[in-house]
Amino acid sequence: MQLQPQQDIFRKRLPFVIIALTVATAALLGRLATLQYQSPEVLNYLERVRNSNYNDTLQLAASRGRIYDRDLEPLAVNTLDYEIGISPNLVAEPRETATTLASILELNELEAFEMVSSNQPWVSLAKPVSAEVAQQIGQADLGGVTIDPIPRRQYPQGTLAAQIIGFVGEDLQGYYGVEGFYQDQLAGLVRDRQVSNIPFDVPQDFGGDRGKDIVLTIDRDIQFLVESELQHAVTESGASEGTIIIMDPRNGDILAMASYPTFDPNFYYDVVDPTLLRNPAIGEQYEPGSVMKVLTVAAAIEDGAITPGWTYNDQGILEMGGITIQNWDRNAHGLVDTTQLLVESLNVGAATVATELGPTNFYSMMSSFGIGRATGIDLQGEQAGMMFVPGDPDWSESQLGTNSFGQGVATTPLQMLTAVSALANGGLMMQPHVVHQIIDGTEIYTSQPSALGRPISAETAGILTEMMVSVVNDGVDEAGIAGYTIAGKTGTAQIPTPLGYENDSSIVTFIGFLPADDPVAVVLVKLDRPREYWGSLVAAPVFRRLAERLVIMLEIPPDDIRHALAAEGGAVGHINR
Amino acid sequence: MAARKQNWFIRQAQRPPWRTRRQATALATLSVFVAIIMGGLYLAQVGQLSITGRQLEELISTRDELQQTNEQLRVEIAGLRSVPRLLARAQELTFVDAAANSIEYLVVDGYNPNRVDNTTVLLQEEAPELPVYDESFEGWARQQWDIFTAQLESFVERASER
Repeated sequence: MQLQPQQDIFRKRLPFVIIALTVATAALLGRLATLQYQSPEVLNYLERVRNSNYNDTLQLAASRGRIYDRDLEPLAVNTLDYEIGISPNLVAEPRETATTLASILELNELEAFEMVSSNQPWVSLAKPVSAEVAQQIGQADLGGVTIDPIPRRQYPQGTLAAQIIGFVGEDLQGYYGVEGFYQDQLAGLVRDRQVSNIPFDVPQDFGGDRGKDIVLTIDRDIQFLVESELQHAVTESGASEGTIIIMDPRNGDILAMASYPTFDPNFYYDVVDPTLLRNPAIGEQYEPGSVMKVLTVAAAIEDGAITPGWTYNDQGILEMGGITIQNWDRNAHGLVDTTQLLVESLNVGAATVATELGPTNFYSMMSSFGIGRATGIDLQGEQAGMMFVPGDPDWSESQLGTNSFGQGVATTPLQMLTAVSALANGGLMMQPHVVHQIIDGTEIYTSQPSALGRPISAETAGILTEMMVSVVNDGVDEAGIAGYTIAGKTGTAQIPTPLGYENDSSIVTFIGFLPADDPVAVVLVKLDRPREYWGSLVAAPVFRRLAERLVIMLEIPPDDIRHALAAEGGAVGHINR
Repeated sequence: MAARKQNWFIRQAQRPPWRTRRQATALATLSVFVAIIMGGLYLAQVGQLSITGRQLEELISTRDELQQTNEQLRVEIAGLRSVPRLLARAQELTFVDAAANSIEYLVVDGYNPNRVDNTTVLLQEEAPELPVYDESFEGWARQQWDIFTAQLESFVERASER
């Protein structure tokens, strides 16, 4: 049979078409196969290219964790504020819209009209506004108006514990205090989220991701008591500022920590003086004054340089390293023992003890008490203090004498409290901390007490406690409360300037603990530049007023009842953990 | 043998035009029918997905609003339980501060004065029950059939009502 010309051409070309299609299919299949075995980088790139066509990548921050006091009273939570804006091009009736917005947002009507009729594509009208105002705007149903939520950190207790907590800035970053120190834990992670642009895609839920909650060791009621008492004390004494810290010496729990003046973290942006945002209890250095004498005596007894019954002849004056050291009253006190040295707070006695101890041992012991070294408390902004030691260019022999009674050495209030807490805790110095628990969903991490060291033995601690009880009973009865044995020591320090020391100004302190034989709380009271010069007259009465309330709040019975209860088999004295 | 194959090919190539048209029409009709079925199923599925997505979006939005309200209530409760307010209320009720000598202490056998650490007792939200994925092709086909028949019944009902 004769094929037609077209059929002939078709027959001739068909194998070529089949071969071409087969080769093309094989090539495509081969390429498909090789794509399955690319390096992860290439696969990620291809995935991104694919996703970019129908996905947007958003960086979503987790909801910030809350902060509670030790009884789970909220100290920091998250709420929303709103930003009200307008797209002028979408406004049909600018005059009426401006009038309505001005009345709700409390704006000048003319300014509101100018914004509503502006040439800009979008104008911010007010930020931040409350949920109530945003709701009113929403109900007004105005065309072109936008209501955008802004995450806000709220501190429902106001100024309470502000310097411990810190604050969160507009950039959602924590600053100072717990907010700053635990920023990573509280903030959680900022994650890249793929959000689909396809309308019928089921939306993904990103709501479950949040930062960790933090439970503090702070007792809100004690914190309130401390802040109220501090404010009263600063006002009454005419002091420029003040600090009070209360710590449990047995485990290092900070029960309260307050400084005045303070700030409201809800309105941190209104604070004119940025130094107010810092926590002076951990960030401000001062010369501790006579409180240092208890550490000097403790160091000498521990070292064996002196015994508890050691005496010296106080002549009221001592030449040391080219300077003259005098007692606070400029008097000679004759034969004085160590207890009397502390009761009378004699500078000459402390310098004599330091001389007996020698510079190497003195500075070694002070270092073991943590002087000149940060405590490592879990708060942002702690300072290390300053103590020159032999070998430093700025150290001289005279400093051994002045350092022994707290001059020429700088500490933070927390450092001094921590050092004295070693005396209250049988010689064991505990790490101060403010975070009790971190809660991560269903996981709860509880902080375990840890020791910074044991600068002195339990025996030395007991001896010093007895001496400090004598200080309160025989020297500073302004600090005592009926029925309770209290150990303590006053401090009155001059304020250094570049040219020497300020005249007629002092920093007064009192550090005490109670009950002296089984301490539950160590308290530091510090007031700067009060009208009265001496710590015993200003700081000690504040301590007494605090102690009177503390024994009730901490359920500490008077000594006789406590001992009787103990004899009957009852355990007494509590702290809520 | 080769000649037979060639003849077959030629025969196929020389099929009468009416036969080709009828087959093509049947094939096209079948394709359209399949496409309609597939399209219908696809649209039903996508529609269902869109509705579910929208419902889910609304639920997420409601949940977020409730969480926000909850947080706001937390703030209000904290304000109501704040120490200054409690002190003011106590004074209104003529309470006075306790003094150390006005407290009587008793020994209670077995009582531990170290309060139980209540900070570890936290109310955990119950984990939501997650749906179990047990879909099979048969189940999916039945589901589609049920949706189709339900829509058909609904359409017939509406038509008969008119």
